[in-house]
Amino acid sequence: MKDYSADSDKFGDEASSPLVEAFHSAVKDLVRQRFAASGRDWASFVFDGAQTSITAEDFAAIDSRMLALGHRYDWSAQVSLAERPAAYKPAAGGQDDLASFSFEHPEAALGVIDAQGWQSCGVGDNVVPFDADLVGTARYVRSSAMVLEFLNHGVPPGTIAVIDDSGGTLTAPILEQFTGVLCAGGTVRSHLGILTREYGIACLMNAKLAGIRDGDTIRMETTARAKTAEAYQQGREMTARVWRLSK
Amino acid sequence: MTPPMERGRINYPQLLETNALIQQLSDESYWLCVTRTVQASKLFPVSPYMLLSYFMAFYRYPELVRKVERHLPAEQIGDRMRNMGIKCANPAMGWGLPSFYLLGREYMINLGLLRPEDALDDLIDVMDFWKRFQLGWHRNDGHLANSNYGHRAQILPERRLQVFHADMYECRQGDALHNAAQAFMAAASQYGFLISCESRISLCNSGPYKLSDTREMIVRDYMDLSESDFPWLDDVARDIPYNNLTVPMAVEGCHIYLLDDWGSFESEPEFKSHHVVGVGLYTSDTLSAGYLPVAMGSRDELTNAFTDLTDKIKAATAKLWKRIAAWTRDQMIDAGAITYFAIAKDIAHVAGCYAVEDWMMVDERAARFRPLLNDEYSNAFLGELVGTMTNPSQRLNEYSMMKHADTPTRMFSHIPYAVLDSGDYTRSVGALRPGHSHLAAKQDRYTTSQGVLNLAEYNRRAQAHTPAVCSPRFRHLCETWLKYHHQSPVANALYCLEQQHSRKLAGRGAGLSRGDIEGLRDRL
Repeated sequence: MKDYSADSDKFGDEASSPLVEAFHSAVKDLVRQRFAASGRDWASFVFDGAQTSITAEDFAAIDSRMLALGHRYDWSAQVSLAERPAAYKPAAGGQDDLASFSFEHPEAALGVIDAQGWQSCGVGDNVVPFDADLVGTARYVRSSAMVLEFLNHGVPPGTIAVIDDSGGTLTAPILEQFTGVLCAGGTVRSHLGILTREYGIACLMNAKLAGIRDGDTIRMETTARAKTAEAYQQGREMTARVWRLSK
Repeated sequence: MTPPMERGRINYPQLLETNALIQQLSDESYWLCVTRTVQASKLFPVSPYMLLSYFMAFYRYPELVRKVERHLPAEQIGDRMRNMGIKCANPAMGWGLPSFYLLGREYMINLGLLRPEDALDDLIDVMDFWKRFQLGWHRNDGHLANSNYGHRAQILPERRLQVFHADMYECRQGDALHNAAQAFMAAASQYGFLISCESRISLCNSGPYKLSDTREMIVRDYMDLSESDFPWLDDVARDIPYNNLTVPMAVEGCHIYLLDDWGSFESEPEFKSHHVVGVGLYTSDTLSAGYLPVAMGSRDELTNAFTDLTDKIKAATAKLWKRIAAWTRDQMIDAGAITYFAIAKDIAHVAGCYAVEDWMMVDERAARFRPLLNDEYSNAFLGELVGTMTNPSQRLNEYSMMKHADTPTRMFSHIPYAVLDSGDYTRSVGALRPGHSHLAAKQDRYTTSQGVLNLAEYNRRAQAHTPAVCSPRFRHLCETWLKYHHQSPVANALYCLEQQHSRKLAGRGAGLSRGDIEGLRDRL
């Protein structure tokens, strides 16, 4: 076996993520084999043989072997799941099962119902403080199909969008029409946080929520202090509360 | 730059300098990645396209910077950048060009496809190009990057700052101009995220600059807004009349204490819209010979321009969103990867050698990795590459304590010095290879300050154009020289050149102080 530098690392042996390690080990095995078979030294192999003899088909085979073991990938972009449903774990909370869907964060729990019917249902990081708390109607916005429907028919007044995408693109054409945003991810500096601040829309990021159903009346404690960069760096909680109106 | 195969052996000073630049980018990239926001999107496969872009950068940047340098040296491109708000600023050249290359290199090392001693001429050339560009661009503040300046970017010369300062209009929260400017900046920011496939690289802040004891100015650039390089903006962005817009903003009641190499900032107290008390609007590009005022003739004209631009940007946003929502995963990945990879494309526009096949295609050597790039693997690997730094190549001996992290890690591998004795290293990945894209072909329409041009004409004009401030007469008249020679005719001519489009300063020359400027400004 020829000398292959990836085999002689004194301080690093494998990646932390099992999936990354599985993929990288498979690629290294491939390179080892093709390098040995080439009969060349590394200097002449690396930008010639390695570039032509290791192909997309080889990488596709690595992916296929992982799936054949029963692994299904977590998805982050809807298009990935839509195009390869057999390769990714299924999603919940699409348009078809929205009536029965709710975010259920393990650290969030429904509280007792107070005299006015409000029930605590989570917390989030306030982007910008406002003079008053915000009351509105929760509407989950979790797919481009939902966004397109709102784009075509308008966003109902008083909508508090409940979102798990902290990016600034999924809701781009309708964001300005929301009264408030509850985002179950990101930080106040995520793109969605930046944009709601620019638009002057009340927003809680990194929200840990439970029990909010589509159409619920909810209240956001938008009078709470904005979470600071220092609080994030120090891992300090600095949250605003969320309530739902019990029916 | 001499082609790699025609050079002599690499020498010790070259390696010392290159490793120092690698280490600077290693330290700063870690800080940026852990303290700035993490990108996430349910629309775009962000991590997969980022990883693909790193491969593209690794395979193509060396040849592309050599091509650019055959037309114009890196330091002269940096000089010209002080007069423009185009995508050569942060985060493009300040961080993206060298770091994307290094991320690709590190990725290849962890796939076992590369040793730290491979492609050394490529590595040295990319780092050297970056260094000389940065030193030229940052000539006035004298730092290699914002991070070396305690996270500050004081790029502009006094003569340009005076024009921005003198001509900006006062505004207060709730008034018509403030509302219009705020609406424009919100819409343009959102559009910027969309055209850049969920990244923030169409936006950039620089500064701060001190306007008074209570006021600072930041300069915000919105870039690549119209039909220009990105095929996905063809048709949908046709109504946007400017490809780049710059908004100088006076802020009062908050101090900008950090402005990083991604062009984002932090302030104390936290920046809010009511802190904005003055705004202006400019456009610029490779052909504009500096910043051109946009609707700066009166408050009303500027207010109406902001409103008109906002409407056009919102319309383009809706059209572009519908186009993107119908894309396949390959199209989304190509667009995102091209956006990232082409973060430094404007160096080719400045040099007049831009080619669609150079910057808007996925190199075939990079494209072969696509089957690996599922969402879960990509998220996990990217997290290890730029966050935990737990890939084998990134781990150092256990006594080590990395800057900012205190862990025995290094984001980007150094070049081993033993190659100087052994000669056991490789020089280059070789010439450009063909590329491909799943996106629609680019229409030959480029929105510039000289109208809509085809690419051949755009390149021709760029090659023929030297901004007057970069001409031999003025090029080396730096801020230090001007400090002592502001009464000279040539200094006066230089200031008058910058002032030629100014509402308040046209023909005023080099003798004005900041206090004089403040006295000339319009009041509410």
